[in-house]
Amino acid sequence: MAEYIKYVDVTKCDGCRACMVACKNWNDLPAEPEEFQGSVQSHAKVTANTWNVLSFIEHEDSKGNLDYLFRHSSCFHCSEAACVKVCPEEAMHYTDFGTVDVNSDKCVGCGYCVQNCPFDVVQLATYKDKNGKEYKKAQKCTMCVDRLEEGMQPACVTTCHTDAMEFGTKEEMLKKAEKRLSEIKDKYPNAMIYNPEGVGGTHTVYVLAEKPSVYGLPEKPKVPTSAVVWKDYAQPIGKMMLGATSMALVGAFVSNKLFNKEGKGHEEDGGGSHE
Amino acid sequence: MSNTQYSGVKVKRFSKGFVIAHAVNALSFFALYITALPMYTEWFDWLYPVLGGPEGARLLHRIFAIAFITPTFIWLIMDPKGFLRWGKELITWKKRDLQFFTEFVKELFGFKFKHVKQTFFNAGEKINSIIQILTAILIIGSGFPMWFPDLFPKAVVQWAYVAHNVGFGLAIAVVVGHIYLSVIHKNSRPGYTGVITGEVPAEWAKDHYTEWYEEEVKKGNFPDLDKNKNKKKGA
Repeated sequence: MAEYIKYVDVTKCDGCRACMVACKNWNDLPAEPEEFQGSVQSHAKVTANTWNVLSFIEHEDSKGNLDYLFRHSSCFHCSEAACVKVCPEEAMHYTDFGTVDVNSDKCVGCGYCVQNCPFDVVQLATYKDKNGKEYKKAQKCTMCVDRLEEGMQPACVTTCHTDAMEFGTKEEMLKKAEKRLSEIKDKYPNAMIYNPEGVGGTHTVYVLAEKPSVYGLPEKPKVPTSAVVWKDYAQPIGKMMLGATSMALVGAFVSNKLFNKEGKGHEEDGGGSHE
Repeated sequence: MSNTQYSGVKVKRFSKGFVIAHAVNALSFFALYITALPMYTEWFDWLYPVLGGPEGARLLHRIFAIAFITPTFIWLIMDPKGFLRWGKELITWKKRDLQFFTEFVKELFGFKFKHVKQTFFNAGEKINSIIQILTAILIIGSGFPMWFPDLFPKAVVQWAYVAHNVGFGLAIAVVVGHIYLSVIHKNSRPGYTGVITGEVPAEWAKDHYTEWYEEEVKKGNFPDLDKNKNKKKGA
């Protein structure tokens, strides 16, 4: 299956926040009123119940002009996702579209994904079962995988009235991004395509008007080294070591049965062998 | 059931403080192992319902985590002398400690071997102790950032997962050996009953921890076996 990505051209965004509404609506997410942020921005960042936040950044460019920057923010759907790597239950997984989704039946709410996401996107949502007992599940943008499976586009993309967001094959979208970048380079000399290599590229690719840090994004995000050491080395070696010790002891047990039938440990002269 | 016959004379090897500390350590280690197993490998996901779901497993893991921290203090408070001797022996290494290992490998696989004179703790037990101390520091030290991620920088939490994993992996490999030797391996089995009752057969103690035994004889605490009888067969 061809890989699909969501292409976000922040320079076309007018900050209407329809994408936020469409996301809440389609995904049936509860409202999360937050304190005043000091700007038009409604929420500080994405949460377990708010998968899509429009960030408003007041930025002074190199010429001293004020620029009002908007960015639709949600999960990046990394190709090499740290959350998928560290998930102990295989709840975090790649879909057929190359996006990253959570299988809530498998999720045990451990929060490993929350601690390892390089973009700070995944969060735990708290629920109550019918006995009133609390439990947690990791939640984040699913790229509306349920819509994709029906041949539709993500809710945020469908609703975007300025075409700041588009959804399509990776090849086609990246071409569009390159073209757009060349168009805006004069106006925004720092403009760039944000599709970071450290996470194998993402399935939400941005054309940013300024450097990533201006948008509060990591310049060079990557799968944490600790996650690689842990999952690719420590855990497999640990399992091997446990297997090796167990096998050595099975060997010892068998060897004892073969060579030491009388059940006598040491030489017949017993006490005499101490020195 | 040991095939080896002992005369029935018992000597006190472990203090009450040690016995309790060892039991708390062993039980909490296994409880921690069981409650984390479904997270470690999905083969054991069927344990979740047994443990009251992921939430139940997590709660139990934290309760036993607290228990796992206590043995050091139990031993230190109830038997400071024994605790200090342990510390001192762990940093004392002599040639005989290295000789111990060549003989030990023969013993492990059931070949003929001779006893190398050892103090209260033999070289193998010292290695076991050292590894367990290091892994306990790794496991407990990393447990806090995992439990309270909001109180620590993100990088610390991320590396804590690694430390917890490495600590546990080393610890379980060593523990498997430790238990095999006490419960299954016939020559060291009296050590197993000993760590529960505190007492071990005198002949066995003399064979396995000769230097310690002779010291206690000198102090008048233990019977001098050489005087009573000439030699014990296969003791």
